[in-house]
Amino acid sequence: MIEILAIPGVILLIGAALLSFFSEKLRPVLFLVFPLIAAAVIILRPEGYSVTSQLLHYDLVLMQTDALSNLFGIVFALGAFVAGVYAFHMKELGQQICALGYAGGALGVTYAGDLLTLIIFWEIMAVASTWLIWAQRTPATDAAGMRYLIYHILGGGLLFAGILWHSVVTGSIAIETIPMEYTPANVLMLLGIAVNAAVIPLHTWLSDAYPKATLTGTIFMSIFTTKTAVYVLIRMYSGWEMLVFFGAAMAIYGIYYAVICKDMREILSYHIISQVGYMVAAIGVGSELAVNGAAAHAYNNILYKSLMFMAVSAVMYSAGTSKMFHLGGLYKKMPWVLGLYVVGGLSISGIPLFAGFVSKGMVIDAAGYGGYETIMLVLLVASVGTWLSVGLKLPYFTWFDKQDYEGELKPIPVNMYIAMGILAFACIFYGIFPNALYTFLPHETGYEPYTVYHLVEITQIALLTFVGFWLLRKKLAPELTTVLDLDWFYRKAAPATRLVFVEKVDTFYAHVEDGIQASARYLADKFQNPMRWLNPFTDEKNEASSYSPAMEVVMSFILLCFLVFAIIYFL
Amino acid sequence: MKNFHWIILGIIFIITLVLEFTVLADYDSHWWNAIPAFYAIFGFVMCYALVYSAKFIAKKIVNRDINYYD
Repeated sequence: MIEILAIPGVILLIGAALLSFFSEKLRPVLFLVFPLIAAAVIILRPEGYSVTSQLLHYDLVLMQTDALSNLFGIVFALGAFVAGVYAFHMKELGQQICALGYAGGALGVTYAGDLLTLIIFWEIMAVASTWLIWAQRTPATDAAGMRYLIYHILGGGLLFAGILWHSVVTGSIAIETIPMEYTPANVLMLLGIAVNAAVIPLHTWLSDAYPKATLTGTIFMSIFTTKTAVYVLIRMYSGWEMLVFFGAAMAIYGIYYAVICKDMREILSYHIISQVGYMVAAIGVGSELAVNGAAAHAYNNILYKSLMFMAVSAVMYSAGTSKMFHLGGLYKKMPWVLGLYVVGGLSISGIPLFAGFVSKGMVIDAAGYGGYETIMLVLLVASVGTWLSVGLKLPYFTWFDKQDYEGELKPIPVNMYIAMGILAFACIFYGIFPNALYTFLPHETGYEPYTVYHLVEITQIALLTFVGFWLLRKKLAPELTTVLDLDWFYRKAAPATRLVFVEKVDTFYAHVEDGIQASARYLADKFQNPMRWLNPFTDEKNEASSYSPAMEVVMSFILLCFLVFAIIYFL
Repeated sequence: MKNFHWIILGIIFIITLVLEFTVLADYDSHWWNAIPAFYAIFGFVMCYALVYSAKFIAKKIVNRDINYYD
């Protein structure tokens, strides 16, 4: 029992349950304690440690550790801790409980050794994260939260259906690499995971919901949902070639929207899709280098992506808007936030000496040397777009472009700076000492990021992209627009969608129901009085409950049959 | 951007070119390594292509009024 309570995911869930018993002042401190306990447990448990249990005739593996799960487990615990520091000033109980429960779900998925345990934690993540959107309490976020929840219920349903099918066919619920066969069970599970990994065209929940979540909620969301999906993909679908192409498409799709969008949080949200695209493509390649690259990139991505979201949320907290149209010229008022954001921006763009450089190169090289040279070029285009959109455009129009920002600014809480500082340090640390990360990767790695070729490659791309941006920057100037995506089909086209998927279905079922009732009525009517077809010469109404001439006829008929059979038998 | 910023960037660029033509002269792992300064051209051209095509997509397809969904 004590072993079950000491599972990292369960520790955070217990923490979430306990938070409500403590006062407003103690809660933020307590929030930080549980991720630290979880991290300590992760470090103390040896690789290969497992906790098993039994449910009906299923053998559950509630926790199983290896290099891959520890890599994700540690970064999730660290992410929950740093995001907790960032949200230290936030006193709302509901958000604190849900954020901690959400992190617990993610850690639970990471250490789950069987598919049933996985789906339970998976659904906890979906439900807990929805509150981080609803906590904004505006009509727009209420609707967005509902869309988000419905999408994730759909995804969870697909995954669960796949798991059930898989367990019936194979008789196993263990989490293991699935051979590349497009059976219904495999495809259903893949679709369920693809929803959470925001694989296009199933990505719209992300770009719809993340920019609308609470300031601190977005940070948690940017850390957990997509990365747990990447983790499960690595475990189960590594080497599925289709993922290479979907991943490359995601990388480009996300970039286009990041270039088009004019809202800081929208830009970063779309950019998550692009970054996860790199990881998905690497998982599709499936070589040792590629899987290492996907894992390392997910790890680093959690560091710099949440750093960038934090910086942007800090601007939003202070200035009250995330629309770049209203911002600009903030560099005098928020130089530190700019500096911290730029560390994230340089990291994500893969500039040497920053974290992204040591993992993005791995993914791109894995594609190039795995026989996917075109995909490698596509990923390089996405690199150009990354540097262009979140490395240059976003900071330029937020902190520069105008002489000075004239609106009112709220002071930014110190805890936000501390959280961003921790992440910025980690980004630079892993950039300078990549081996600190490489030793913990699932496979042995002989990868060397700091080669002359890599340095020349990225420096030339970055420099000339910068020149291009500088010449074209007026074209990217912010304006107030709504940018359509595939969610248009269920948002704007709701009446048509409703007609097809609700009303038509309703009418169909109504017809079927009418038909069934009509046939029942017909049969009831016909069988009400068997006399009418046994003795066609009468149309008298007969009551079955009392004596009636009909009874005589039936009795005589039975006797007659009996007689006939008796004669046949004795003859 | 002041002039000396551009000068620094120019110097870095020249260093990469020198490295490319000396240390990496025989480097050949992809077909595009044969093209001189490929990554510089690639970065610049792709930047232009991305900005113009994104602008086109935005204008023709995806951009709407800010209150479109309200």
